[in-house]
Amino acid sequence: MENKSPTLVLERVTKSFGDFTAVKDMSLMVMAGRIFGLIGPNGAGKTTTIRMIVNITAPDSGTIKLFGEEINSSLQDRIGYLPEERGLYKKMRISEQLKFFAALKNVPGAQAGKLIDRWLARVELSEWKNKRAKELSKGMQQKIQFIAAVMHDPDLLILDEPFSGLDPVNVELLRDIVLELKAEGKTIIFSTHQMELAEKLCDDICMINKSEKVLDGSLREVKRGFGRNAVALRLEGGESVLADRSLVVKVDQDSDELEALLAPGVDAQELLNRLISSGARLSKFELVEPSLNDIFIEKVRRAA
Amino acid sequence: MKKFLAVIKREYVQRVRSKMFILATVMGPVMLALFTVLPAFIANINAGGPTRIAVVDESGRMYARFHETLNKKEEPSDESGQRRKSPAETINANQQDRLASSRNLAGGDFQVEQVSLEGRSLEDVKRELNSRIRQGQLDVYVVLPRDILEEGKAEYYGRNTGDVFTRGRLTDRLTRAVRDERLVDKHIAPEVVREINRPVTLQSTRISEAGEEKDSGAGFYLVFGMGFVIYLTILMYGQVILAAVIEEKETRIAEILFSSMRAFPLMMGKLIGVSLVALTQLVIWGLSFIALAIYGAGALSARGIPVSLPHMPPIVLVYFVLFFLLGYYIYSTIYALVGSMVTTAQEGGQMALPVVFLLVMAFYFVFPVIRSPNSSLAFWVSMFPFFAPITMLVRIVTETPPFWQIALSLGIGFATVALLTWLAARIYRIGMLMYGKRPTIPELWRWVRQS
Repeated sequence: MENKSPTLVLERVTKSFGDFTAVKDMSLMVMAGRIFGLIGPNGAGKTTTIRMIVNITAPDSGTIKLFGEEINSSLQDRIGYLPEERGLYKKMRISEQLKFFAALKNVPGAQAGKLIDRWLARVELSEWKNKRAKELSKGMQQKIQFIAAVMHDPDLLILDEPFSGLDPVNVELLRDIVLELKAEGKTIIFSTHQMELAEKLCDDICMINKSEKVLDGSLREVKRGFGRNAVALRLEGGESVLADRSLVVKVDQDSDELEALLAPGVDAQELLNRLISSGARLSKFELVEPSLNDIFIEKVRRAA
Repeated sequence: MKKFLAVIKREYVQRVRSKMFILATVMGPVMLALFTVLPAFIANINAGGPTRIAVVDESGRMYARFHETLNKKEEPSDESGQRRKSPAETINANQQDRLASSRNLAGGDFQVEQVSLEGRSLEDVKRELNSRIRQGQLDVYVVLPRDILEEGKAEYYGRNTGDVFTRGRLTDRLTRAVRDERLVDKHIAPEVVREINRPVTLQSTRISEAGEEKDSGAGFYLVFGMGFVIYLTILMYGQVILAAVIEEKETRIAEILFSSMRAFPLMMGKLIGVSLVALTQLVIWGLSFIALAIYGAGALSARGIPVSLPHMPPIVLVYFVLFFLLGYYIYSTIYALVGSMVTTAQEGGQMALPVVFLLVMAFYFVFPVIRSPNSSLAFWVSMFPFFAPITMLVRIVTETPPFWQIALSLGIGFATVALLTWLAARIYRIGMLMYGKRPTIPELWRWVRQS
């Protein structure tokens, strides 16, 4: 399923507003058929980056290539975009509203009607079809906006904080749809400040902070590359093994378990073998991956 | 292009179907009908049938004359003669005129009886008549005293002395009857006097390139009405544009829109869509006005009041549409620009005040321009693009200026529209995505240069 050609390439993109540089020297690559997480705190430059990708604003310098072409307005039809700040026409009926958004993506009118019915059924809002937007709850409106982003079958889907404000059931519903779209080979850019969410969903990530890229790569690489190799342990005995500084650099005692930071180059498997052969009784042995949150904080601290 | 059409269609369909539009469109002509036809119609209703009058003639010679004038059909007397009025005077006088004529139309509904004293005292007769009035057998009685010709006084008794129409008419007829009797006393035939008193009517003829045409004075209303309709429609639809732009900004739909199409066709689509709504409304209003005018004129002439509708050459309609569109695009572009710069509708209202002020000024210039449509003031205000849509149209209808002036005014106007849309599109694109602080002029200028 994985496709090695990049859908989107940003090269040294910079954008400033007056004296403020919102995005600085940003380069990144989004691979086709993968979920790409754009992660960073509020105000880091995520939305500005996205606005340049969807051709709302143009970069001051640098290039953006989408589907191998320099970004232009005709490519906009192949993008689906759910902005973070989103709205609907309050007095317009849902079906008409969606038809309008479909027309803006060049979907023929006859086809739009069928698509709308199918999508409304998919998000369980069929009976709201002829209601006005103002009659819908905020969560329902959000699902309508989600339909507006996906119904024209875009090759690149950009979701800016798509789950904020949704209840768990609806988060699940939208996440399933996103995963289905991925399975269909769509490329998805997922922007969020919630690291845990990104961790669960993304194949690749790019962290940005204060207008600059902090790090990027596949989730796996990023975690491995973070160079922290720790094991959570609950055991009786084995103290001598843990005291071996060639094996374990540091041991942190938590309430009922230990966290052992392995020496560089040491495989956790080796520690396990040594512990078992030393006769220690293990009730827990777990590789501890650094969370994106940890990595982000560490990275930002190191940069400062 | 398809997206552009989708925007136009959305603006048009959503608005034309809205309750507000339907209400305003229907209510416009209904209000017009209400204010023109209804007062005359209601005043015409004579709920109680003919007025029953008893006349006590002490002089012994007035009754026959009075009876004759009472039941005679109205003819213009010198008192209420068809005086020509200046346009300004006519605006208010018009209503009274209409009432007066409708009163005349209802004329002749008197049931007159003579009550002779037959030796009884006046007091007795009055007592008897009073009781008849109380019992509802009689509406009014009039006592014509012996010295009526010298003193010119008579007495009027009735349950309803507030009925100014009946009283007015009786006064009028009695005056005539008394005057005729006085003339007879002086050996002058009343017919001779009437002939001498016949008023002059001023028949005005408008001279224009198209030749000569009769103008019954209704032309003024036409000019004024056209100026007013343009002013009102621009003001109304400017607000519509302002609200529409602010809605898209406030609800942040703008971001979705901009991710699908360029700002310029989006803004133009909105302006054009709403202009079509305005034109739809104007056409409906125009047609119902024409229908009403034709019907009204027909109805009036059927009742003996000749009305000549002001003749309007079709080219004026073309100019009307052209200048309406000019005014609409000049002002609505500014409204769109203002809307994109503010965050809330309230703020938008404040920011748009200077624009409204310009428009109101344009409307005020209608008066001096009507008075002297060829003055240099009229020339310059009809060249200034913010005033031209109203003032030039007024000039065209009152005293058509040379074609080069009209063309120049349109040229300047549409050049201004082009410049304004160019400017507005640039500010719109950035303004729609900016929230919070309102941009300063230097910032705006940077936006314009940037894009």
